[in-house]
Amino acid sequence: MGSRSCSDTGCSASGRRARRPRRKSAARHSDVTTTFYVDRSSPLHGLNPVTKLVAGLALIVMAFALSRPWWASAVLFVVVLVPAVAIGGVQRRFFAMLAKFLLPLLVMLFIVQSLFYPGGREVIFGLGPITVEREGVLFAAQTASRLLVLVGVFAALLLTTHAGRMMAALVQRGMSPKISYVVSATLQIIPNFQRRADAIVQAQRARGLDTEGSRWRRAKALVPLLSPLVLGAFTEVGERAVAIEARAFTVRGPKTSLVVIPDSRTQQVARWGLVLLAVGAVVSRLWV
Amino acid sequence: MAQQVQPQQSRTVSQVLLLVLGALVIVATYVYLVLARPAEAGEGAGAGPGSLIALGGYLIGSALIISGAMRNLTTMTLALIPVGIAINIVVGQVNTVLGGPLYLDSIGTVAVGVLAGPAAGAATGALSNVIWGLTINPPLMPFAVTAAEIGLLAGLFARLGAFRRPWWPPLVGLLVGVVSAIISAPISAFVFGAVDVSAGRSAITAAFLAYGASLLGASTLQGFLSDPADKMVTFFVVYLILVALPSRFRYRFPFVQRHRVFGKRKARATPTTEERSEAQ
Repeated sequence: MGSRSCSDTGCSASGRRARRPRRKSAARHSDVTTTFYVDRSSPLHGLNPVTKLVAGLALIVMAFALSRPWWASAVLFVVVLVPAVAIGGVQRRFFAMLAKFLLPLLVMLFIVQSLFYPGGREVIFGLGPITVEREGVLFAAQTASRLLVLVGVFAALLLTTHAGRMMAALVQRGMSPKISYVVSATLQIIPNFQRRADAIVQAQRARGLDTEGSRWRRAKALVPLLSPLVLGAFTEVGERAVAIEARAFTVRGPKTSLVVIPDSRTQQVARWGLVLLAVGAVVSRLWV
Repeated sequence: MAQQVQPQQSRTVSQVLLLVLGALVIVATYVYLVLARPAEAGEGAGAGPGSLIALGGYLIGSALIISGAMRNLTTMTLALIPVGIAINIVVGQVNTVLGGPLYLDSIGTVAVGVLAGPAAGAATGALSNVIWGLTINPPLMPFAVTAAEIGLLAGLFARLGAFRRPWWPPLVGLLVGVVSAIISAPISAFVFGAVDVSAGRSAITAAFLAYGASLLGASTLQGFLSDPADKMVTFFVVYLILVALPSRFRYRFPFVQRHRVFGKRKARATPTTEERSEAQ
């Protein structure tokens, strides 16, 4: 039988392991469930998570819908996202995250597209066989500013929103509780899985398994890791199923929630306004 | 754990409808992008609405597939999905750390598809990328479509009996890999400008572009170089793992029983020893 662990994410059934005190996991794995969320109070943290999600999605849609001038999405990033993150007080981490995820990608983007963009005509810089075309640079710049919005929105969301509260708020607005269960349960399983993966890797190394060396060697090292990890994981499934059933999860009818996420009329109106704004941007792009 | 059969039957119709509708939206998006080539109209500067259509169509398609797939799951499947997602994420991360040449981020998706059917597989894939994007790596989120397609096809092929003999899974994996490369190409091309975090893969795309391929063409060809190999390995690994599981566990899933996913019910101990000899 699984034990029951309750936190502000609501209650969920999980295996016995979840109750053990956590050891520090190896340094190279960070605990993914708590890596990014910054727990403090700010106007941005206080918003209903659904409002933040709708605003984020609307912003992404607008960034991809506005195509002229090419820097339109960059304006969205500077005028909307950056101030929002500053209000949330997470600007340093926000830019660190963007640098980590986007910097290598953007460097690659400018190199490849300014040299090889298929629609390039106007050469702005040439050196022997290497030519940089204006269209390619513009395409790279536009794609880059859209990616800044796309990745920035999700970075801002994870820095200021607790995943459990996000799920609870979405269920209150009519999302299936099954999806919420899957997300919350996954976030609980992952850290304990990572610890197990670490232990298996170390045990196999102690047996003399090669985890260094050529790429092929390292790929082969995954095989003796996979089987114990996956087999162990699947054996817990039956236990979980019994635990879910015991909490009457599948019973149809109204259910009550432990946490109620505050929402306001103003925010509801704002959400619909944002949806209309995004739809307007799409319509103007496709039919005007 | 008695399953009520009556109310479930009527719900299955809406479930299948939503799944089919989602798949149609995705296919229609792709066909439009290939035929109309909106992103390469050039318009003097920057791209056309290609990126918006790719992102929007795929997003709507994935949302339909998730809502359809979550309609009526047995408790056992509901308990299985988080484990599948965790396997995807942890193995994918470990693989990144070890620096293996493949992605290996869909082992859990394929396993759930084979054990619990196409709908559950699709839900596992799509939610896997959403969760991954929301916790570790935001750029992965738009690829939820590909993940859903992998789970869906794994379930369909399992239903057709691809997991009854050891030589089928790699072949099926090859086919699924080709489809994955095709489906994910518009996202790589129009949303990410045909580049990748990996310098090697970007260089390959650049070479295709230099030889005159379109953005979409170069991304597709680049995908053909990595996706099929990755899915071949994934499907074979999943086969080995599932055959090694106790059959008592496998037969707790109605899907496995109804479609005889692993062939006739008999005790098999050989694959585990095969795996052991491989691990040496």
